[in-house]
Amino acid sequence: MSGPESPAVGNMPEPLLVAREISMSFGPTAALRGASMSLAAGELLAVMGPSGSGKSTLLHCLAGILVPGAGEISFAGQRIDSLDEKARARLRRDRFGFVFQFGQLVPELTVEENIALPLLLTGARRAEAIGRAGGWLERLDLAGLERRRCGELSGGQAQRVALARGLVADPAVLFADEPTGSLDSLTGEQVMDLLVAGAREQGMSVVLVTHDPRVAAYADREIVVRDGHVVSGELIAP
Amino acid sequence: MIRLGVRFALAGGREAVGRLALIAVGVAVGVGLLLATIASLHAINAQNSRYAWLETGFSGSDAPAGSGQATSAAAPPAPSVASASASASAPASASASATADGGTASDRLWWRLRADEYEGREIGRVDVAATGPHSPVPPGIARLPKAGEFYASPALARLLARTPRAELGDRFPGVLVGTIGSAALPAPNSLIIVIGHAAAELAPQSDVGQVSAISTTTPASCADGCAFGVGISADALTLILSVVAAALLFPIMIFVGNATRLSAARREQRFAAMRLVGATPGQISVISAVESGMAALTGAVGGFGVFYAARPALAGIPFTGQPFFTGDLMLGVRDVVLVAVGIPVVAVVAARVALRRVNVSPLGISRRVTPRPPRAWRVLPLAAGLGELAYAAYVADIGARSSTSTSVEAAVFLSGVLLTMMGLLAAGPWLTMLCSRSIAGHARRAATLVAARRIADNPQAAFRSVAGLVLALFVSTCAVGIITTIGAYNDDAVGSAAPGSATILQVLDDDPAGPRTPTGSTMPADVRQRLASIPGVAGIALTRRVPGVGSGQHGSSIVVSCAELASVPALGRCPSGAGHVTMNPDFGGGIVAGTSPLSATVWPRFGGSDAELARSSLSLIAVATSGSSASVERVRTTLGLAYPRTYPPLTLTEFRAHGSWRLKGYRRLANVAIFASVPIAGCALALSVAGGLADRRRPFSLLRLAGTPVGVLRRVIVLEAVVPLLATAAAAIGTGLLVAQLFLRGQLYETLHFPGAGYYLVLLAGLAIALAVISSAMPVLARTTGPEAARQE
Repeated sequence: MSGPESPAVGNMPEPLLVAREISMSFGPTAALRGASMSLAAGELLAVMGPSGSGKSTLLHCLAGILVPGAGEISFAGQRIDSLDEKARARLRRDRFGFVFQFGQLVPELTVEENIALPLLLTGARRAEAIGRAGGWLERLDLAGLERRRCGELSGGQAQRVALARGLVADPAVLFADEPTGSLDSLTGEQVMDLLVAGAREQGMSVVLVTHDPRVAAYADREIVVRDGHVVSGELIAP
Repeated sequence: MIRLGVRFALAGGREAVGRLALIAVGVAVGVGLLLATIASLHAINAQNSRYAWLETGFSGSDAPAGSGQATSAAAPPAPSVASASASASAPASASASATADGGTASDRLWWRLRADEYEGREIGRVDVAATGPHSPVPPGIARLPKAGEFYASPALARLLARTPRAELGDRFPGVLVGTIGSAALPAPNSLIIVIGHAAAELAPQSDVGQVSAISTTTPASCADGCAFGVGISADALTLILSVVAAALLFPIMIFVGNATRLSAARREQRFAAMRLVGATPGQISVISAVESGMAALTGAVGGFGVFYAARPALAGIPFTGQPFFTGDLMLGVRDVVLVAVGIPVVAVVAARVALRRVNVSPLGISRRVTPRPPRAWRVLPLAAGLGELAYAAYVADIGARSSTSTSVEAAVFLSGVLLTMMGLLAAGPWLTMLCSRSIAGHARRAATLVAARRIADNPQAAFRSVAGLVLALFVSTCAVGIITTIGAYNDDAVGSAAPGSATILQVLDDDPAGPRTPTGSTMPADVRQRLASIPGVAGIALTRRVPGVGSGQHGSSIVVSCAELASVPALGRCPSGAGHVTMNPDFGGGIVAGTSPLSATVWPRFGGSDAELARSSLSLIAVATSGSSASVERVRTTLGLAYPRTYPPLTLTEFRAHGSWRLKGYRRLANVAIFASVPIAGCALALSVAGGLADRRRPFSLLRLAGTPVGVLRRVIVLEAVVPLLATAAAAIGTGLLVAQLFLRGQLYETLHFPGAGYYLVLLAGLAIALAVISSAMPVLARTTGPEAARQE
């Protein structure tokens, strides 16, 4: 049974991303059971819950990576759960950004090429893509590392590169799955400061999956997933 | 730690067992191919040794002709003893000479070796006559055939049984009394006959010598003065062994190496976990080595099974021109030990070397060490090899070559080619790096950028995946360049024309027997009538050698009447109004003065008298037929019986084929190198592609999660193989053509003719195979990088 979301205070913008009663099973295991939630434009939403609760599955469904067995998911008023894989991949490439816990960077590419990769995939010219990527190097304290290979970076540096890659294409929604999970607390704080600043600057929404309350504290609002249900969702004051 | 390593390897769950099984299968295939190559090299030697008895009577053998006329080894190229497919049986080793009663030979034996031909297949004919009860007996038969008897090889016996006598059987006097055993047969399908005569009948004949023993000198160990074109000479053997070894062994070792590297990245995660609980890097190395060694040992054992299962089929492949007996494909104890022990050792060493590149820490793969980029000095071996060949060509150009022996020339050429091949392998990574860096610097698309960067990051690994194909390209380009040029100088196209295969020539005055075989100035009427009565015979032309007329092979040209020449158009034409013309043809080449085809040649008038012609002896008999096998063979039988010679009557096409027997040998060798090495190289490429996919499963799957189309990843995989292939293929092709040119200048004083359409078809076929191999990995790519893969990671 899903819990109700907390009512917004003041004028709530139209939700950018809405999930209604979505269920998802992997064989006999039900990962989501009728979960519902919404995300407003420009909002930073933390998704918390114990390990195995279904929070990553929820993120994957919201991002169009998985198609739920039941329920509806809409982005900007358009159903995405009924799209085919090609259309959902295009959506993920053009409108969404992703930051994972580790291993997402292409080890043979340089830092600036990794950041520019999403732009190259959308057909941007190389010079323009590298130029836009270079703009993020300063903002994320990566100046001087342009030509380094990603295998030569520290964990914190690599995660900032991943963050820059997630933000460079100006996505409408940034999905971050345990972005600081493999970092020490100080480095994690630095990454989160940069993530929030970058998102606010671009006016983008963020769905942040984490089990760390300190990371969740960065969010405007937090929902808790337990046993496949969204059991609470409180608006966190900006 | 070794016991622990064994436990990990066997008790690691389905994934671990599957991984080891995959490596073992890959190694098994590679080892099977390696054993087949080694066994083939032994088989060539074994087959060649069974030619030894046919060297009897030649001055270079250990059984030269004694009193009586010696067999000359200075004759023009004799047709080699060839064969067709038949069932195989294990051959015994060639026996030394023995008498029929098992005692030592003390009586001499009259002996003559001749060649015959049937439908393009060569027949080895040995005429023997004992001088006493203790004359030496050739291997493969229990006793010497008496007059009116003969022994035939099983293949020839079957041929005689099913062929009309007028086409074949009439050539051999006597009856079949037994078959020749495999100890005397180079191949299961050899066509050999041993005909018995009375001594008084054989002794006065041409080309006959007396011997006291049967030769045990193989063609490869006979330096000079042995039967030309019988078996494989030492130089040719060295060439074959070197080309086979270089063109096959290296691709096979690459294949085995790639197999042992499969799933190395996955194992690294397990090693990281072990480091977490306190294992030292040295202990990790031991466990990794045990896993690799076990898989390789299992694969090596499987490889022996693959080899022995494939051995009968392998024996039937005629890559020396004849199939082998199954038993020829043997492995020595040293070979077995070398492979059974060597392959696992190589796998263990490879595993330890690979781990050195990765610093396994308790927190996972902490740093992947990028290998140092290849340096420009890597082109030095290539330059050295080409320099050696260029020097040899220069020496030939300035005429200084005649002072060096043939074996020295062969050694220089071979070492130059091998050095060039090694040079290509050394320079390949550097060329790959240059090309990929250039592409990466200008790449506009994501797939191109990712592929080029990966290649530039580790050009050694990128080149290793295509090295086998590059070698195959070099060998095939070199071979095709040489063959095309030699074929052009011999005007291959002429030989394929219908008149070439329908006109039979019996050369009468080119016989090493010389004046012992008088020919007269005309053909006996009964012979002419027998020829004319053969269905399909269209014309007969007799040529005579008139002393003092023109200059030809023997100091005089041959003369033919225009009336007869008109009935045999393949030999050329007369000018209008001429009664007789002089000819100066080269039948072995089939062209005149290197330019005109024989049939289009207009010969000059003969200015001599009829009286001169009447006094001149016959030089050549030419018979034009319809080209049917029956008419050709009946003419051959009739001419062979009327004019017995060392060399049989041959069609123009067969003359040309015999004249270019070395060319046929090169073609066969090139085919082996191309058609065997390309699939092996393709399999090595497949393993490399699969290994690369496994290593990058996580970043690829997360890229797909983030919206990267799978088509982009497919392009990455394709480009990672195609870029190093194209970059180095251009160098391989250019080097192959250059080596061909240097060989032609240095050995044959000829200039390269660029290959024709067939060569480009081979190129395209090689590229198509490579693309097919890469494409076969695409379903795996889609499956292993899907959303479920990333979630499970």
